Amino acid sequence: MLVRPRRIVVILVAGAALGLAWNALSGRGLALARNAYLREGDETIEAAEARGRLDQGALFLDARPLAFYQMSHIPGALALPEDDFDRAFTALEPRLRASFDVVVYCSGFGCEASHLVARRLKERGIPAVVLSEGWPAWQEAGYPIKEGPQP
Amino acid sequence: MRWLRHPNLYWLVSIGLGVVFVWASVPKIAHPVDFARIVYRYRLAGPTADLGVVPANLLAVVLPWVEALTGLLLASGWWRREAAAVAGGLLTIFVVAVGYVLWQGIDVGHCGCFTVGGQGRGAGWTLVAEDLGLLAAALYVMLVRPREPSSVSATAPLPVA
Repeated sequence: MLVRPRRIVVILVAGAALGLAWNALSGRGLALARNAYLREGDETIEAAEARGRLDQGALFLDARPLAFYQMSHIPGALALPEDDFDRAFTALEPRLRASFDVVVYCSGFGCEASHLVARRLKERGIPAVVLSEGWPAWQEAGYPIKEGPQP
Repeated sequence: MRWLRHPNLYWLVSIGLGVVFVWASVPKIAHPVDFARIVYRYRLAGPTADLGVVPANLLAVVLPWVEALTGLLLASGWWRREAAAVAGGLLTIFVVAVGYVLWQGIDVGHCGCFTVGGQGRGAGWTLVAEDLGLLAAALYVMLVRPREPSSVSATAPLPVA
């Protein structure tokens, strides 16, 4: 026989074991249960918690590109696209500084925009939390959405 | 097609493929968090609300070491055919992953092929073609039996002076 399947299994198991060992012992590993976009100090909330905060008057910010916001968004959310942050922030700053609870979301599934926007807001003295897994988590939970460009 | 069984060609392809695999694994091993972020963008192993982040993180942690081990085996000659089979499997997964994001119109920004930081190359059809080329090389190493070098045969008796 040209190829011995047992050896293939050994290669895969040994590679996996090396990977897990390196991850645990190298000091540069990844927390397996934690989103790789999160950094120390980032605060995230789940969709159910976000829904509660929306009902209590939290300000939601949509960090996706504007075209996505204009198609549909969380009701009441304002557009603060990460790719046009400075201009959008200037326009929204008075409103943001008057808000007591800011929740930022983006497209989920590996989207970094909400984390970047939340960090930039914090740098400017505005505390903000990130909706974990963003827009898809909101949609999958069956929570209301608003179509069109109006908040 | 006799030339395909030439031992020098066989060793060259095998060692070359091994070097490519080791080379590709090093930045992923050195920067697992950056690589995990790239894995997320392919959306094949999550994160999703159902799967969470663990499958994608496990893939990001394990894949580079399987890649490295496969490359070392291919280059050194130990379990070469089995390593080529694993390389073929990995390359098939890469072709499917890149094909999937191209088909879905997903912009991964960075393909995560040989680097994981900065402005890397995106996922395009050239990348699919390259992966298919490497897949052909892996199948070649796995399936072809090279000729014994004609001057030194393992089975022929040594010449008597």
